[in-house]
Amino acid sequence: MDFTLSPEQLLIKDSVARFAAGDHAGGEHWPTFAELGWLAIGAPEDLGGFGGPLETLLLMEQFGRGRVVSPYVAQVVFAGTILRAAERTELLQRLVEGEERFAVAYEEPHARYDASRVATAAVRDGDVYVITGTKARVLDPSTADTLIVSARTGDEITLFAVPRDAQGVTLAKYDAEDGHDVANVRLESVRAGASAILGPLGGGLALLELGLDHATGALCAEGLGLMSTMLEATVEYTKQRQQFGVPIGSFQALQHRMAEMFIELELARSMAYLAAMTLGEEQDPVARRRGISAAKAQIAKSGRFVGQQAIQLHGGIGMSEEYKVGHYFKRMTHVERLLGDADFHLARFIAARGAKSEAGTPAPVG
Amino acid sequence: MDLAFSPEERAFREEVRAFIAERLPADIRRKVQAGDPLVKDDYARWHRILSERGWVAPSWPQQYGGTGWTPVQKHIFEEEISYGWAPRLLPFGLSMVAPVIIEFGNDEQRARYLPKIHTGEEFWCQGYSEPGSGSDLASLQTRAERNGDNYVINGTKTWITAAQWADWIFVLARTSQEPKKQDGISFILADMKTPGVTVRPIQTIDGGREINEVHLENVEVPVANRVGGEGQGWNIAKFLLEHERTGTAGIPGCRQQLEALYELLAHEHVDDRRLHERVAQVEIELEALAFTELRTLAAESAGKRPGPESSILKIKGTEIQQAISELALDALGPYAERHLAPKYFNYRKTSIYAGSNEIQKNIIAKRILKL
Repeated sequence: MDFTLSPEQLLIKDSVARFAAGDHAGGEHWPTFAELGWLAIGAPEDLGGFGGPLETLLLMEQFGRGRVVSPYVAQVVFAGTILRAAERTELLQRLVEGEERFAVAYEEPHARYDASRVATAAVRDGDVYVITGTKARVLDPSTADTLIVSARTGDEITLFAVPRDAQGVTLAKYDAEDGHDVANVRLESVRAGASAILGPLGGGLALLELGLDHATGALCAEGLGLMSTMLEATVEYTKQRQQFGVPIGSFQALQHRMAEMFIELELARSMAYLAAMTLGEEQDPVARRRGISAAKAQIAKSGRFVGQQAIQLHGGIGMSEEYKVGHYFKRMTHVERLLGDADFHLARFIAARGAKSEAGTPAPVG
Repeated sequence: MDLAFSPEERAFREEVRAFIAERLPADIRRKVQAGDPLVKDDYARWHRILSERGWVAPSWPQQYGGTGWTPVQKHIFEEEISYGWAPRLLPFGLSMVAPVIIEFGNDEQRARYLPKIHTGEEFWCQGYSEPGSGSDLASLQTRAERNGDNYVINGTKTWITAAQWADWIFVLARTSQEPKKQDGISFILADMKTPGVTVRPIQTIDGGREINEVHLENVEVPVANRVGGEGQGWNIAKFLLEHERTGTAGIPGCRQQLEALYELLAHEHVDDRRLHERVAQVEIELEALAFTELRTLAAESAGKRPGPESSILKIKGTEIQQAISELALDALGPYAERHLAPKYFNYRKTSIYAGSNEIQKNIIAKRILKL
């Protein structure tokens, strides 16, 4: 057993930390990400790729610490995992080089995080498929060139790569509280050729679930970073802020609350790492599902507590739009629910516990 | 970063597992598995078996009979002890007073006490808390007055586990009055057979009789029984408490009890969704804590002494132990009276002993968050 980071891992961590600590608001950072190799994390070596889920964790934790608003999870982790598993090397190469950007349109209205509830249909018409349906809450579609769309082909689900500006595609964007780009997407008789199919025909759900698990792991790491900064800011603030003639951090009621925040943060840290390990090593989908859902349920619970208490302990200033902690709280609130909230993942964890693994042996318990 | 166990570590696990399977007396295994209380002879027999194998004192340096194990090996051993339904040995001699004697004692003391702690020939108990001094341990009133080559000890110690079996007690006593209450305390070893020592059992709310009050009335103890310098007792006490906290998380035990809880849910056909969700929530927290323990273990392997981070393990570990006992109670519903209710009552102690969880939060606030 060894918990130390390799020199290469330390290098990524430091370079991302420098970026995250700097002025990263606004601006176009994608070319920089490509140049620094951050778009190649998890990609095969012959595409210039390196690392895997642990490197993604190191990057996303720093993004969380600095509250970097970036389409990284949606366009690199989520989409990249799908392209890799679908063995679409030419598309993955364009992603890694920053030449083409992908967003995943999988969720539908009233599906409540369930990727298998797909009403969007792809109907065969000669050599092409005609796709019609509505996708809800697509993450970071505005900067994407291509949408990865899930659609029903008969009883099964298939993934299609559809140009965002294809005829029949309409984006209804709305402002997310945390500054991220989100839209509902309407597909009206969108025509897609056979080369648009990602992975096997009818094999879309397994690809989606793999992509979702990797993206969820990355969100856990972002949540960890967000929580770290919120706790640090709270501890600092209560040391400075004087009331009744003393720093409020000297009051035991507040000290115990911060000790509880610290415990939640450390449990969340453990689960974020455990999620990365699971993604790196686990081939069995049931065991992977179980590990990722456990992590997300924990991060969502810890994040809600740490976020709410960070605002509470800052008092009035915590409510102020000018002060940073509120922005972290808002992003944490989204991270809690993105790709499944605590209740969803708890239920998924319970289901995975009861399920036999696809390898034929029971899912491991310990 | 690599979390897999090495082939050597896996072989070590097999060796421990086989040893426990072969050598643990069947009657003791049955009691542990059933959650029945053990008697002194049960502890003594298992203690002797481990001592003879050289596996009784993983936390000691090798020269005194320690195992020389890495932190990972110690962790594996702890796990296998639980999984094999072996008892956890009483900690008062092996992992409390012995590390103190090794760290602060002199050679005569090491030669006199350590071998008999190792073999289990002498049992120990802990004289820390007093009726008026619990969390504020430094306010203790027990006095040890110098009389020639002896100390004369007077006072009352309480909540003492296994005092009824103990041959020796280690006592924190005031050897001088100083302006600061932490000063003037010494760490003294007393033979329980010394005239003036009386043990009175305290029945607990679960019906158990594991704790006692110990009265010390003009108990004469040689000055040579003091460990460390006069007035150094508070430092020693802090050293011991930090030692005590590592391992209190009891994670392997929690895993087993959780499995038993799942079996109970299946056996009782409990289909209450909320109950299943509460159990799953605890299972997730247990996974998180287990990984947190591995992270502290890794830090220890890298040469860091167990520090204030062990407070997390104490707080969360005991909260989880209590939560599982509570869920088992709820799972069995109206039939919980005979067996599970006493356990639930008994487990309320875990967030109180070894420095209450509130005191642990003070430690986190002061020593980690620097508040």
